[in-house]
Amino acid sequence: MGREKELKKSHPIIICRCNDVTLEDVERAIEEGFTDIESLRKVLRIGMGPCQGRTCIPILMRILSRKLGKRIDEINIPRSRAPLIPIQASLFLKSIDVKGEER
Amino acid sequence: MKVVIVGAGISGLFIAYELAKRGVKDIVILEKDYVGAGSTGRCATGIRASFTSREHIVLMKRSIELWSIHSKSELGELGLNFIQSGYLWVARREETLENFKKFIALQNSLGVPTKIVDVDEIKSIVPTINTDVIVGGMYDPTAGKSYVFTTLRALVRACRKYGVDIRCGVEVLRLHAENTKIRYVETSTGIIEGDIFVVAAGANTRDLLRPLGIELPIKNMPRHVLITEAYSRAIDPLVIDWDSHGVPYIVQTTEGNFIIGREIEEIPEISLYSQRIDFIPKALKPISELFPFVENVRVLRSWIGYYITTPDNHPVYGPLKPFENLFIATGFSGHGYMMGPVTGEIIADWILEGRPRIPEAQNLVFERFKTGKLIKELAVVG
Repeated sequence: MGREKELKKSHPIIICRCNDVTLEDVERAIEEGFTDIESLRKVLRIGMGPCQGRTCIPILMRILSRKLGKRIDEINIPRSRAPLIPIQASLFLKSIDVKGEER
Repeated sequence: MKVVIVGAGISGLFIAYELAKRGVKDIVILEKDYVGAGSTGRCATGIRASFTSREHIVLMKRSIELWSIHSKSELGELGLNFIQSGYLWVARREETLENFKKFIALQNSLGVPTKIVDVDEIKSIVPTINTDVIVGGMYDPTAGKSYVFTTLRALVRACRKYGVDIRCGVEVLRLHAENTKIRYVETSTGIIEGDIFVVAAGANTRDLLRPLGIELPIKNMPRHVLITEAYSRAIDPLVIDWDSHGVPYIVQTTEGNFIIGREIEEIPEISLYSQRIDFIPKALKPISELFPFVENVRVLRSWIGYYITTPDNHPVYGPLKPFENLFIATGFSGHGYMMGPVTGEIIADWILEGRPRIPEAQNLVFERFKTGKLIKELAVVG
């Protein structure tokens, strides 16, 4: 355990690479009482970057499961939002939905 | 004195914070989901006093003062930040500028320094804007923005420091009254008694109060929002495209993401989890005319939040007669986040002093819907 702490100090363990959220950030937020995945996601911006949580959310779920002593299937999976993967605005602008709106 | 607050959104948290700072020791907040799970966490984070009613202007002027004070004191140290980067309303038509002048006359008379800006001034406020499609605008330098989740985290930290008991995942099922007093709330985890009850439950307030015989004239109007990936700093003020369909707006967060919204035709009260993919192009189109580089940015997510709307677009504040120990704060019609600090202050006044320090707030009590003394507000955006 001591070694893990040392390691964390010198090399922060990144959980969410899109938004640079570290293991330490996650643990601190949990200690502050943010113990559900939706509020952790919003307070820390974990899983809110371009990858939309593809790698960090499963890791976050494992951390939560360990910290709260819950089974992994008792941890909620966060909601997905359209368009699911990042899509460039110019592609949306080719949609027929933008035609026909008069000023 | 024990105060029971229903709802841990911006209103419930600021009310708890104000009460705790003024010495109320026993405060519990009951939240059925998580902090900010309702309209608060779904909002676009803008803050302004440039409205078109005396009530909104006076309350929001105070709220802006408080946003600024809070950002420089305890809450600021805990993470709350307020960036006074202004609101810019752009006009695509000359006649719109005449309407802006009418708004400005009222706002100036109440001390909000909005002004008409020409295309060159707009260019100096937002150098990245495409001025080919606009003829001028209205600028409010006192408006700003505050990132919602850092604000919520700061409030949670401060409330906990003062001993406020915030219980998430506890749903209030009903309030129990004896004669004209609320005695206790029945929750998903048991009964909680109290001396004072405050309902700040946003979109759920109406249904919660109905069994008490109180029918709030509130409609939950779904409003769509999207967020893009982070981009380099490009737009400081919140920009409103007043002459385009659905009044689109864009604001850049402190992290660099763009939040873009507009109104689209939508079914009132529809589920927050219904899907309207057509919203995304409809919002991007007018905004990309103003800011062509937005075309190259990727859209990450879109979601719905409710504007908890009253017939006159003003909140329902204060005591709920005939109950002597029941107070509410809801129906902000899209402005609850920005009003958070002043909501906390005046509801705490009502509870502890019997009246709010801002007399205009008295015009916003529930009785106005019975007496027909409604207030007019034209400047609802998004």
